[in-house]
Amino acid sequence: MIVLRVLLYAVISLVTVFLVILLGERGAWYFAWVLGTVMIVLISAAGGALLDAQEEAGSSDD
Amino acid sequence: MHNMQTVVDLSRWQFAATALYHFLFVPLTLGLTFLLAAMETVYVTTGRKIYKEMAIFWGKLFAINFALGVATGLTMEFEFGTNWAQYSRFVGDVFGAPLAIEGLMAFFLESTFVGLMLFGWDRMSRGKHLLVTYMVALGSNLSALWILIANGFMQSPHGATFDPITMRMELSSFTDLIFNHDAQAKFVHTSIAGYVTAAVFVAGISGWYMLRNRHMELAKRSFRMAVLFGVFASVGVISLGDALGFIDGHAQPAKLVAMESLWHTRTPPVGFNVIAFPSQKQQRNLYALKIPDLLTPLVTHSMNTVIPGADEVEQNAMVRMRDGIPAVLALKTLSAEPSNQAALAQFDAHKKDMGYALLLERFAPDLAAATPTDYERAARSVIPDVAVIFWSFRIMVLAGFAMLFFLGLGAFCSLNNKVHERRWLLKLAPWFIPVPYIACEAGWLVAEMGRQPWTVYGVFPTWMSASTQSVAYMVFSLAGFVLIYSIFIAVEMYLMVKFIRKGPDDGATAMLAH
Repeated sequence: MIVLRVLLYAVISLVTVFLVILLGERGAWYFAWVLGTVMIVLISAAGGALLDAQEEAGSSDD
Repeated sequence: MHNMQTVVDLSRWQFAATALYHFLFVPLTLGLTFLLAAMETVYVTTGRKIYKEMAIFWGKLFAINFALGVATGLTMEFEFGTNWAQYSRFVGDVFGAPLAIEGLMAFFLESTFVGLMLFGWDRMSRGKHLLVTYMVALGSNLSALWILIANGFMQSPHGATFDPITMRMELSSFTDLIFNHDAQAKFVHTSIAGYVTAAVFVAGISGWYMLRNRHMELAKRSFRMAVLFGVFASVGVISLGDALGFIDGHAQPAKLVAMESLWHTRTPPVGFNVIAFPSQKQQRNLYALKIPDLLTPLVTHSMNTVIPGADEVEQNAMVRMRDGIPAVLALKTLSAEPSNQAALAQFDAHKKDMGYALLLERFAPDLAAATPTDYERAARSVIPDVAVIFWSFRIMVLAGFAMLFFLGLGAFCSLNNKVHERRWLLKLAPWFIPVPYIACEAGWLVAEMGRQPWTVYGVFPTWMSASTQSVAYMVFSLAGFVLIYSIFIAVEMYLMVKFIRKGPDDGATAMLAH
């Protein structure tokens, strides 16, 4: 399982590096969109998970 | 001639009306798909059922919006052929490819996966379903990408050259077309504006639920995820708006004149008109409230770059009209004798200003006999409607900052896990739902009215672009579109309100889940 995860992250890294090379100077805004969208989605998802943690911490305090 | 101008005006009204109606549906589709993907990502990674319920409920509202968005978008593609045949003939070789790819993205990628996303919850593993949701999000945004690549060409033509033998634009570099700076900035600005729209939409409805103490678990989580999604997207929209202003300032100085109501070229740094009442006829502002020295750094990112005012833009246009006349005269020779080398050489020497001579032709059909008055009228027509563009731009910017403030405040209250206690914020949230729509529509007005009097900026004027339809046909079809699209809007509003009032606990949610 760990090997699979490492492989997955390696593939994501490769795709990112490939995109940087492909888009380079000419497609800087496209690359910014890819990075920005991934970041916005992950921050939003993290916000949801954080709310669960806050609610659990609140209920255990009670 | 008078009749033809009426047909051109009616064609513009029809396209503007259908585009503005269509763009009431598009932004929510662009943003909500990625917000659904974020919700489902939490479901897949944590296994908590509430996130699945969230994805199903918001997915249902997405489905209503998506269906009507596709229905309103279809007609626009046909309008290029029915109402803008001259334009389609002139740039079809360039415009056709992105439009066809957009069709493939929208109908094959996006629409195929939409069905799987809505009805595939218990027919696929969680991971596969998540992948499908991401594909829907990617498909909807990539279809927007190709439309905006085509639009970017109209705003700042790159990657094509005019062939004097075939008398049309032909693609010379596909990479120049897709990496056009205007297309890039416009795509990211539009796509992320869709994210903000979705964030405000979800936050508004979630706030409404929390205010009534309904579906609290779903509403609190949806609100939290939406405001975080939206606050970062708002920063992105404002940054890209600045980039787009910088790019358009160079590519379309006349649009910048209209956006800032800048009638005269002044020594930099130039002041920023916060409020102005421009008079197009007198070419001056009847009243202006100014912040000194602000406009130059805002638009040029420097303190000493000169921003051309309307007077300079018009003078440059006149010079280019004179220079372009030999190119148009050479084209007339070439249409009779395509192998005339002298005419080809004459065309090559003046081709960069051909569009300006075509613009002059509207006021002086015999270009060789154009009078100074014809030149002046044509030069004045280069400046688009300043009042509409100036105020649309300010409405868009004001709405953008208001949403950033609202979403920032929402994020602050939500991160403290106090949002359900802030009743004033929950009351405010639903009232914010129309704001991103107003901003998006105002943005389109700035972009498209600001491009006038051109369909392809500096190359092909609008007056030459329309089909030779009758006025009666145009009036009838315009009235028909307005009527049908108004019905679509009413249907969308009815269905949205109905399903929002019902909430996530109805049979449809269960049906989608099983």
